[in-house]
Amino acid sequence: MNKKTIIVLITSILAFAIIFIAALLIGRYPISIDDFFNAVFTSDAEYQIERSVILNLRLPRTIMAGLAGIGLSLSGLLYQEIFQNKLVSPDLLGVSTGASVGASIAIVLGLSSIFISFLAFIVGIITVMLTVLIAKLFKNGSSTILLLSGIIVAGFMSSILSYIKYLANPETTLASITYWMMGSFENSTMNQIYILFPVILISTIILLVLSWRINIVSLGKEEAQTKGINYKYYRYLIIFIATLLTSSVVAFNGTISWIGLVIPHIVRLMVGRNTRRTIPLCITFGGVFMIIVDILSRSFTDSEIPLSAVTGLFGTVIFVAILLYRRRTFDEN
Amino acid sequence: MKIKIKNLSFTYARTTKVVLTNLNAEIKEGTVNVVLGLNGSGKTTLIRLLAGLYKPDEGDIFYDAKRLTSIPIKERSKIFAYVSQHSVSTDDILVKDFLTFGFVNSLKFYESPSKEQIAKVTAIANKMQIEKLLNKNLGELSGGEKQIVSIAACLLQNTPILLLDEPTSALDLKNQNLVLSLLRDIAKEGKTVILSSHNPNHSLFLNSNVILLNNGKIEMFDESNKVVQIDILRKIYGNNLCLSSDLAYKEVSFKN
Repeated sequence: MNKKTIIVLITSILAFAIIFIAALLIGRYPISIDDFFNAVFTSDAEYQIERSVILNLRLPRTIMAGLAGIGLSLSGLLYQEIFQNKLVSPDLLGVSTGASVGASIAIVLGLSSIFISFLAFIVGIITVMLTVLIAKLFKNGSSTILLLSGIIVAGFMSSILSYIKYLANPETTLASITYWMMGSFENSTMNQIYILFPVILISTIILLVLSWRINIVSLGKEEAQTKGINYKYYRYLIIFIATLLTSSVVAFNGTISWIGLVIPHIVRLMVGRNTRRTIPLCITFGGVFMIIVDILSRSFTDSEIPLSAVTGLFGTVIFVAILLYRRRTFDEN
Repeated sequence: MKIKIKNLSFTYARTTKVVLTNLNAEIKEGTVNVVLGLNGSGKTTLIRLLAGLYKPDEGDIFYDAKRLTSIPIKERSKIFAYVSQHSVSTDDILVKDFLTFGFVNSLKFYESPSKEQIAKVTAIANKMQIEKLLNKNLGELSGGEKQIVSIAACLLQNTPILLLDEPTSALDLKNQNLVLSLLRDIAKEGKTVILSSHNPNHSLFLNSNVILLNNGKIEMFDESNKVVQIDILRKIYGNNLCLSSDLAYKEVSFKN
């Protein structure tokens, strides 16, 4: 890692810590720093309300936001590297659409929230397996076929989704499905975090360990193989991790768009394309961005704004800014 | 390390046209070998077969006594390095990062290049006069610079054999000269070089062996001064081919 990366990394870790604390203080029930310390570090009964707001409401959703940001930015980066295409996002192979189908089936059947998450996760994974399987039928092994297969399967899943929505009760279940698909941390609980945290932690550790090697996998089959890398093995491993990250995040929080596309771009713009540098930074930047989005979504108006609305708003603006900046650098060359 | 091509045949999937038919050759250690032939004669296919990127339909390729198809991918990368016709497929990686990628076969899955290896990158960049390119993106380089960087990457892979598919195809005369001189120096260090080319003069410049392909068969495999003869080449390139001494104008080339 070079000096610039280390400086950016340390700054973003500090930003992560500050934003994390800020997220516990900011909201419709503002808490001062003094009250925060009294509520968290003493057992004074006077601060019971603050304590409850911080520990029961804000802490779970802030941790959840951080984990979701990390998971989605990492999987976005992985997909972009593996498919050598900077415009792909984590739902490329149909994972988000699949998860939406799973969740909406559970919602229509009136199952509880843990089953909604479970079905979303399972159908998300099955969708990606289907994508890989269809690509295999072509016996071609190129990334383009996999991409195409992803578009086909996502199209198939979204028509199933339309059908489920058509069957759903417009007053109750259809509204729930629509709301689920817009993403929210409102109902995050510590129990969900106990499940999600190990998934994100283990995936992140594996990715950090492999961070340099992923560079060579992202050169494509030919170059990776002649440099001595078992391309197929690594490609499937990385797709598996990326899918696991996206589907587990989406399962608990609904679909959250844009972050998986925008964060890897911002990171690459700062430190260049080298997964040894971009993977650690996607972790910190993704977490920070998502927590900020969550703060905005719950403090802009009296009611909560869905996450995808906020990420979309910021994501698109930031993306245009990145493209404009890139165009300038391209022109200079 | 010597290379033996035995009864090698190859057809692309879903086509009936046989690209290579019953090729036999033995390539000696420390030699430069230029594959010549028309477009579609099978030059690229042969290089890619040698690099293990295609599987032969029939026949085998042996590196010393080992059959290529039975050598694991990691071991292969220690035997030969390969540069494709497009030299590099990506454009937004720093040259100095790209050059370290050749070390991957000597590193464990959790390792990244050591300080000594990074020093080797600087050393080879100095030797090949590309130290100014190290902090540039691959996309910022000219075709010639890219080609030289990819040859440098090959050398850092530190293999006894180099396989290059038309390394001079995109280059102007100056850069052609640079790349060919470089390959000649590499061969002097004892490495075996196999490259494909459209220009018979290159084999004369390199004083190499020539594998002359005609319709997927080896027409001739010998030293360049024996193969690059007007009557032999006319069979491949047509009867209009002539020696520069027979021309009404002066042709340009580079000094040996």
